[in-house]
Amino acid sequence: MSTSPSRRILVGIGNAGVTVLDLLSVEYPGMTGLLAVNNDPDSLNASIVRDKIEVPEGDPGEGFRVIDDEFGRTVEGASAVILCGGLGGETGSFLLPALAIRAKSAGLTTMACVGMPFSFEGKHKRDLAERALEKLQEICDAVVVIGNDQLSGGSPSIAAVGEAFVLSDRTLLAALLALTGMLSTSGPVKITRTDIHHVLGKTGAITHFGFGKAEGSNRLHEALERALKSPLLTLPGKGSALKESSMILLLLRGAKDIYFAEVQAVVGKIEQIAGDNCQIKVGVHADGPLGSALELYLLASSGGTVRKPAKPSESNETGEPNSAISPISPISPVSQIGTKLPQPSRGEEISSGHSEGEKGADELFPVQTKPTSKSGKKAAATSKQMQGTLALDTYQRGRFDKSEPTIVEGEDLDIPTFLRKGIKLNPPTRK
Amino acid sequence: MANEQIFVGLEIGTTKISVIVAEARDDDQISILGVGETPSRGVRKGEIVDMETVTECVREAILDAEDKTNVEIGNVWVAITGSHLASFNNRGSLALRAERQIEPEDLEAVEVNAKEVAIPTPNTFLHTILQAYHVDGNQNVIDPLKSEGALLEADFHIVHGIKTRIHNTLRCIESLKIGIEDVVLSSLASAQVVLSQDQKNYGALMIDIGGGTTDYLVYIDGAIRHSGVLALGGDHITNDISVGLRLPIARAELLKIEEGSASDPVSSEGGFISLKNDPRFLGCDVDRVSLETIIHLRVKEIFELIRRDIESSGEGMMDLIRGVMITGGCSKLKGIAQVAEEVFDIPVELTRARNVSGATQIFEDPQYSTAIGLTKYARLVTKNIAPESMLDRFTQGLGSLFKKRSR
Repeated sequence: MSTSPSRRILVGIGNAGVTVLDLLSVEYPGMTGLLAVNNDPDSLNASIVRDKIEVPEGDPGEGFRVIDDEFGRTVEGASAVILCGGLGGETGSFLLPALAIRAKSAGLTTMACVGMPFSFEGKHKRDLAERALEKLQEICDAVVVIGNDQLSGGSPSIAAVGEAFVLSDRTLLAALLALTGMLSTSGPVKITRTDIHHVLGKTGAITHFGFGKAEGSNRLHEALERALKSPLLTLPGKGSALKESSMILLLLRGAKDIYFAEVQAVVGKIEQIAGDNCQIKVGVHADGPLGSALELYLLASSGGTVRKPAKPSESNETGEPNSAISPISPISPVSQIGTKLPQPSRGEEISSGHSEGEKGADELFPVQTKPTSKSGKKAAATSKQMQGTLALDTYQRGRFDKSEPTIVEGEDLDIPTFLRKGIKLNPPTRK
Repeated sequence: MANEQIFVGLEIGTTKISVIVAEARDDDQISILGVGETPSRGVRKGEIVDMETVTECVREAILDAEDKTNVEIGNVWVAITGSHLASFNNRGSLALRAERQIEPEDLEAVEVNAKEVAIPTPNTFLHTILQAYHVDGNQNVIDPLKSEGALLEADFHIVHGIKTRIHNTLRCIESLKIGIEDVVLSSLASAQVVLSQDQKNYGALMIDIGGGTTDYLVYIDGAIRHSGVLALGGDHITNDISVGLRLPIARAELLKIEEGSASDPVSSEGGFISLKNDPRFLGCDVDRVSLETIIHLRVKEIFELIRRDIESSGEGMMDLIRGVMITGGCSKLKGIAQVAEEVFDIPVELTRARNVSGATQIFEDPQYSTAIGLTKYARLVTKNIAPESMLDRFTQGLGSLFKKRSR
């Protein structure tokens, strides 16, 4: 198994998590670093994800040995692990915290993207999910919580159950892509791990998430409109949830020709909605082929209590977990969650239609094709410098600050030519 | 009545609002009676952003013109600009049922056909300008009404823009109880007095650099082939200076007018320009090379954008342009012609309204080209001959949407 530094691993856990990874492999065939973990061999066999770990059910001791050994070995050398799955099901509720603890104990940046059950799934599930979520929020550097009830607009009654689950999987996938993109070190403008932790590292917080995708000349506007319409971005009775957020993470992903002016326009629009007190952190992931669609992701949170900021994990050495909780042995979740390794509770078959994506499956965790060879430390340092550049815009536009920008050939021409061309001038000398 | 008609041209510019009152003489000449003007407020990049303020400024300019000329202004011709304006060329065709003489209705029908193209929904047609008629494949038929044929085709240059923005200008004027004769693309108005018929035939590019916008128009073989508006102008140069040299806008503007040069700073005389103290400004010495670098880069960029736009709008069009005529307030910037020559690689001339008479100091200033051009345009349209040539025939696009007041 190749162990390249600074790679990130996406782990799909339980049936929901594995489905999401399958969707991911179909839609982004080049995506590497995927790992499916489940206790249901049928689900794993049906999955097109190349790397799989089966956690045997019914034997907690053996289960933890597998997590400790196999999972531990797989994530070794990675810089970040993103766990993804549905909570409430007994598999996810147990495996997610257990894997998070294992990853954290290896000193990795650990994040999670989880779906909370629909209310029609019953109180038992809800309770289980909430306890697991609490645990996860304690352990992980960042947790994105997708409330399925909210997602279906609070009225799942009018939606077919199957559709509701599909929507839920789609949203989890998008959230996973958002987190992955934000973590990624490529692109000219970045979001740091500290930013992600700041927004998503709160216990008991509600995650606000929106995404939109569009192409064509009006792509940015359409993508933003779609993202803003996401039900997870609205608070009942209060309008946009962005107003309640102190920091918003924005990721733009698409073709190489994402224009500076487009980014600026989007930030301006969000600022308008969120108000002046909100900080917007922007990440741009512009490496797709020309003409590809623009994807826009928004992540924010409201409520919750801030934990001591976890230091971004930058070492590959196995050490003590650096999260706020005291070191826990990998065995401990059993007693805390109070369940034994169960059967998968969401009895959905993995659709065989996914097999067409198999040809796209890559080698075992090969080095990412993107230039991510920098160590985490260096990347973090660079990203801090990069952040500063956007804040200068208003100053650069001078008197045209509040006017409609003059955008020709993708450039904001209100910004002085010499600035755009990077020409140095001699400053005036004061008398 | 037609012998001594009075036309009023109104240009709501980014820097100033000008009202030109002109008299049309029998010999088709335009004689300027006077100009009214006020500094403009509430206009940005050629478009109205503060209706109330602009309306007040227009009122002042009109009163100023009335005072100076002793003419009561009832109707005006209005110039319009802004980056929302777009243009394209299109051919309309009309198959006549049998070979017969072409009637005036056929000319109208072929124009309607040419306009049957999809423009963005918020847009409306501003001008449909004839380029040439073709009858049964015979190119450039000067007067199709005298010929017989089975197929009539016509090429048009079509200008369109966002309806609401054009309406803003009209509403502002109508609220002053002043009638609007027609709305005219700024560059089209300027071209009427800036370009001679020879230049139009020979192939010319006219660039009108104002405060908020740069309007340009390409004439080839006597017909308009391309037009465009860039929301860039003198204001941008001033802003660049202000940002680059950390000067207040007013100081930057003054420095641009007094010391500014668009020439390549390689040939700069160098040294420092001393800016004096004043109560609200701490004096400083400004590096001349830096100042010239800022201006040169911006001006060059504007010309390069125009060149690229023309090149992309028609293959080989740039090769058919034999000369560049620059007008507008910003054309007074030192060294601007050399930069244009560098970029376009053809002869460049700084120009202003010509073939007009009257108060000399007015038409000799390039910043009045558009407003004077409006009166000339008005003269040509109302006299019902095409402006300067049979090939130009203007049809009313937007103006007819508004009720005209009797003169």
